[in-house]
Amino acid sequence: MTSTLRFRTKLNLGIITIVAATALVLALVISQVAARALEDESKRTGSVLVENLSMRAAEPLLGGDLLRLKDLVDELPQVEENILYAFVTDDSGRVLVHTFQGGFPVQLTTANTTPEGRGVAIQLLDTGQELVYDFAAPVLVAGDRLGSVRLGLTRQKVLSVVNRLLWAVYATAGTAFVAALLASTYFAGRVTRRLNALRCHAEEIVRGNLDHQAAPPVYRNCWEVLDCGSEQCPAYGTRGACCWHLAGALNPACKTGDCPGAGKTCDVCPVYLENRGDEIQELAETFDVMSRALKTHIEELRAAEARVKRQERLMRTVLDASPDQMSMVDDKLVYLAVNRTFSQALGRRPDEVAGLTSKDLFPPDDAARRDRDNLDVMRSGKPASREIPFFDGERDRWFHEVRLPVADADGRVIGLLRSARDITDMKEVQEQLIHSQKMESVGKLAGGVAHEINTPLGIILGYTQLLQEDAPEGGQLASDLAIIEKQAKVCRKIVADLLGFSRQTESAKLHMCFNNSVLEVVSLVQHAFSLDKVAIVTDMDDRMPIIYGDPEKLKQVWLNLLGNALDAMPEGGVIMVRTHLDTPRMQVTLEVVDSGQGIRREDLQKIFDPFYSTKPVGQGTGLGLSVSFGIIEDHDGSIRAASPAPEDLLRKARERAGILEDAVSGPGSILTVELPLDHTTEENEQA
Amino acid sequence: MGRMLRELPATARALTRAAKRGCTSPAGLAFALVAALAFALASCSDEEPAKRVDLTKRVEITAPGAPEGVTYAYLPQYSHAISYKRHRGLVDYLTRATGIPVRQVFPATFDEHVNMVARGEIDISFSNPFIYTRLAKLGSRVFARIVEPTGEPYFRGQIICRRDNRAIRTLADCRGKHWIAVDPFSAGGFLFALGLFHDNGIARSDFAEVAFAPGPGGSQEKVVMAVYAGTYDVGSVREGTLDLLKGRIELDRIRVLARTRAYPGWLYSARRGLDQDKVQKIAKAMFKLSMKDPEAAAILSTAGMRAIIPARDEEYAPILDLVRRLGLEDGRP
Repeated sequence: MTSTLRFRTKLNLGIITIVAATALVLALVISQVAARALEDESKRTGSVLVENLSMRAAEPLLGGDLLRLKDLVDELPQVEENILYAFVTDDSGRVLVHTFQGGFPVQLTTANTTPEGRGVAIQLLDTGQELVYDFAAPVLVAGDRLGSVRLGLTRQKVLSVVNRLLWAVYATAGTAFVAALLASTYFAGRVTRRLNALRCHAEEIVRGNLDHQAAPPVYRNCWEVLDCGSEQCPAYGTRGACCWHLAGALNPACKTGDCPGAGKTCDVCPVYLENRGDEIQELAETFDVMSRALKTHIEELRAAEARVKRQERLMRTVLDASPDQMSMVDDKLVYLAVNRTFSQALGRRPDEVAGLTSKDLFPPDDAARRDRDNLDVMRSGKPASREIPFFDGERDRWFHEVRLPVADADGRVIGLLRSARDITDMKEVQEQLIHSQKMESVGKLAGGVAHEINTPLGIILGYTQLLQEDAPEGGQLASDLAIIEKQAKVCRKIVADLLGFSRQTESAKLHMCFNNSVLEVVSLVQHAFSLDKVAIVTDMDDRMPIIYGDPEKLKQVWLNLLGNALDAMPEGGVIMVRTHLDTPRMQVTLEVVDSGQGIRREDLQKIFDPFYSTKPVGQGTGLGLSVSFGIIEDHDGSIRAASPAPEDLLRKARERAGILEDAVSGPGSILTVELPLDHTTEENEQA
Repeated sequence: MGRMLRELPATARALTRAAKRGCTSPAGLAFALVAALAFALASCSDEEPAKRVDLTKRVEITAPGAPEGVTYAYLPQYSHAISYKRHRGLVDYLTRATGIPVRQVFPATFDEHVNMVARGEIDISFSNPFIYTRLAKLGSRVFARIVEPTGEPYFRGQIICRRDNRAIRTLADCRGKHWIAVDPFSAGGFLFALGLFHDNGIARSDFAEVAFAPGPGGSQEKVVMAVYAGTYDVGSVREGTLDLLKGRIELDRIRVLARTRAYPGWLYSARRGLDQDKVQKIAKAMFKLSMKDPEAAAILSTAGMRAIIPARDEEYAPILDLVRRLGLEDGRP
C-alpha cells in the first residue's frame, strides 16, 4: 500500500513517525524517569524527615517530655505538606505521641518494621483511599535504641506532580510534533517539487525533447566569474551547462581536467564554489549532461542511419535494377535477401521472401534441386555456373545460374549468392543464327544441286518435247511423254524454287506500290478461296506505301502466305490481310491472319525450313515458306509466324467477313512480313 | 529498569520474527518498535507491593508509668543525649554492681534538677559544687566526688579575652566590658570568676553586660567561641575547656587573663530520705571503679572522670564561703 503513496506523503509520514516515536519515547522515558526521580526524592525527603525526627526525638524521649514529642510530630505536617501522619514509640513499641485525631490506628504499629541499627525502613501502605510511604527510623542514643519514629508520606502528591510533568512533556511533544509536521511539509514540498521537475525533465527526454533544461541556471557563468575571455574554451558562452560537466573545459583552476563531473580540484574552484548545488541539483546537472550526450549520440546515429539508408537504397536500386534474379541464402538455406526481379518472378514482394526456404517458394522437385545445388557449392566453396531450362507455364525459358559461396572473415562459408540471368532471348538468337547458318548451307547446297540439275533437266524437257512432236497423238507414247514432260516441269519448278530460295535467281527490283501488289494477289485467289469456304478480308493502310522490290517475287510470297493460310483451314474460315506503314521505323508490315488450326509451338521455328511440311506426303514440297523466307531476306525484310492469332484481329476479321464465331474452328495463326520502305539503307551498306 | 532491559531482547526477537514472516511493513515495523519501547517503559514502572492497612481501627493510647528503682541525674549542663551517652555506662554498672535498678533521668534545666531533687524524683544527683550548695539546703548530702580528668579532685575557672584586645591587660581592665559566662549556676564557668572579680574589687554591676551562653549543651565552648568571634570582650570558662577546642580554632588568638583558685570538683549527693543502705551500696560500687580495670576505665573516661572518691560535706566549705561572700545564699545568682 505504501508504494502507491506519493513521495511527499512518505517523507511527511517518515518524519512524523520519527518525531512522534521520539516524542512518545521521550515522553515515556522522561515521565518514567521523572516519576521515579520524584518518588526517590519523595523517599529521600521522607527518610531525611524521619531521621531528623528520630534525632530530635532523642532528647524529649530521654527526658520523658511528651509535650515536646507531641510538638515535634505535630509540626511535621506544617513542614512538609505531603506528610499524612507521624508518631513515636518507645523501645517496647508503645505509642507515645501521634498526629491522629480520634484514636490511633492500631494496625499502623505493625505495618512497618524499624531497622535494628541505623537506617530507615520504607514500606508502601495501602490505606484503601490512597497509597502511603511509611518511613520507620530508630531513635538511637549512643547506639542504644530508645524507641522509634514513624512517618507517613502520601504518594498522591507525588503522582499529581508526575501527572503535571507528564502533561508538560506531552504538550511539548505535541508542539514539537506540529512544528515537525510543518517543517517536514515545507521541506518535503521543496524536495518533491524539485523531484517533480526532474521527472518532467525525464518525461521531456522520453518525448524526445533533449533541449529541456533540468538544472536551474547558474548564478554566474564561469567566464564571468573568472573573467577569462578564452573563447576557445568549450564552456565559454555555453549557457545552462556547468564547466565541470564539459569535457575539455579550460578552467585554469581545473588542473586535472577530470571532467565531466566535479572532481577534487573543484572544491577550491571559485566557479564551482559559487554555482554548486545540493545533491538534487547535481542530479539535475547530470541529467542535463546526459541529455546533451544523448542528443549528440542521437544526431550521430541519425547521420549514420541516413548514410546507411542511402547506401542500402543505392544497393537495393542496383540490385533491383538488375534483370538478373539475385538471392542470398544463409548456411541453413534460408533466404536472407532477394532482389525485385527474383521476387517478381515468384509473384511476391522482396520482404516476403526473406526468412523463407526453397520449400516455401518452389515446387518440391525444384526446391530439392536448388537446395542440392546450393549445398554442393557451399560444401565445395567453389563458384558454379550452368544453364538450365525452365518452363514458366507458357514456354520454355533458359536461365544462366551462377552460385557464389559467401565466406566470413575466417574464410568459413556462411551463405551463398545466386544470380540467375534469363538468357532465353539470347538462346533464341543463338538458335536463329544456327538456323540461318543452316539455311544458308542448305541454300548453297540446294542452289548448287539445282544449278547442276537444271541443265540436264532442260535437256530432258527439250528432248521430251522433241519426242512429243514425233509421237502420234493419243498414242501410248504421247501419253508417256506427256507424263515425263509434266514430271520434268515439276522438277524444274522445284529447281526454280531452290534457286529462288538460295537467291540464285535474278531479281528485278523497282519502286512499286505495296498495297497494289498485295491486292493483286488477293483478287487473284479470292474466288478460288471462296470455293473452299474461305473468305478474305483486307485492311490496307490508305497511305499507299511505296517500296523498292521485285513485284513478281513478292507476289509469289503473298501467294505462298495465302496458300499456307488456306491449307490451315480445311473446314473453311476467314483470312485477314493487313498492311501497315510505320513511318518512324521506315518500314511497312503485312499481316496475314487466319482462323485456322494454328501452328504448334514446336513447329513455329521450323516452318521456314526447306522441305519442312506438316501436310501429307505429296501435297506439298515444303518449300513454299522457305522460298518466301529467302525472298523476304533478299528484300532485307523479316518474316515470322505466331500462333494463336491475336483475338481482336480474329474478331475483326470475322466481323468484316460476316462469319459466325462457331464457324471458326481453330486458334488461328498470324504471319508477319516486315519490309523496309526505302532501299537506300541496303544500297548504302552495299556501297 | 532492569526488568525492562530483560524484556527488551524478547521484544526485539518478536519483532525480528514478525519481519521475517514479511507481514510487517516498514511503517508497521516503526510503530511496532515504538509500541515495544512504550511497553518496555511501561513495564518498568512496576509497582512495589503495598501492605494493606486499615486506618479506621483506632485505639486510645495510654502513656506508660515510671518504672521502679533509684533515679540518677546528671546536672544538665549538656544535652540529654550527651548526658545519657556519658553516664549510661556508669548507670548500667551501678545496676549490675548493686543489684538495685538504677535509672537515669533527664531534668531539662538546673532549676528543674534542684526541684526534682526536692520532689524526690532524683535520688542520686551528680552536680557541681555551686548547685550542691542549694541541694544541701534541701537536705542532700555529698557522699562522693570525682577525680577530674587532670588527675586532681579539684578544678579552676579561667578568664579569657582575645589576644588582640589591647583594651584588656589586667583584670581591672574588665570594668565596663561585656562579659559572657557559661551559666548563672555554673561553678567553673561563672561562680569562680565572679569570686575572682569580687576579690579584685570588681562587682558584677561594674560590667557593661554580663551574658550567659545560650541553649543547653557545650556552653563552655560557646563562651570561647563568643570571645573568639569578638562578640564579647571577656569570657569565663572552667579550666580545660580550651583544650576541647584544640584544632577547631586558633587557640593562640585567645589569651588567658587570669585563673581562679582551685575548688573541689563535681560531686555525688543523695537526696534526703534515700535509704542509706542503698547509698552505701552505690558509693561502694562507685569507689570500686578504677582506671586500672579496662572496663571500669572505659566507664570512667566516658563519664569524664578518672575515679570516684569518698567526700564529706566539709570539703565544700570554700564553696559555701564563696557563695556567702558573693551574697548568693538564697541560691539565686
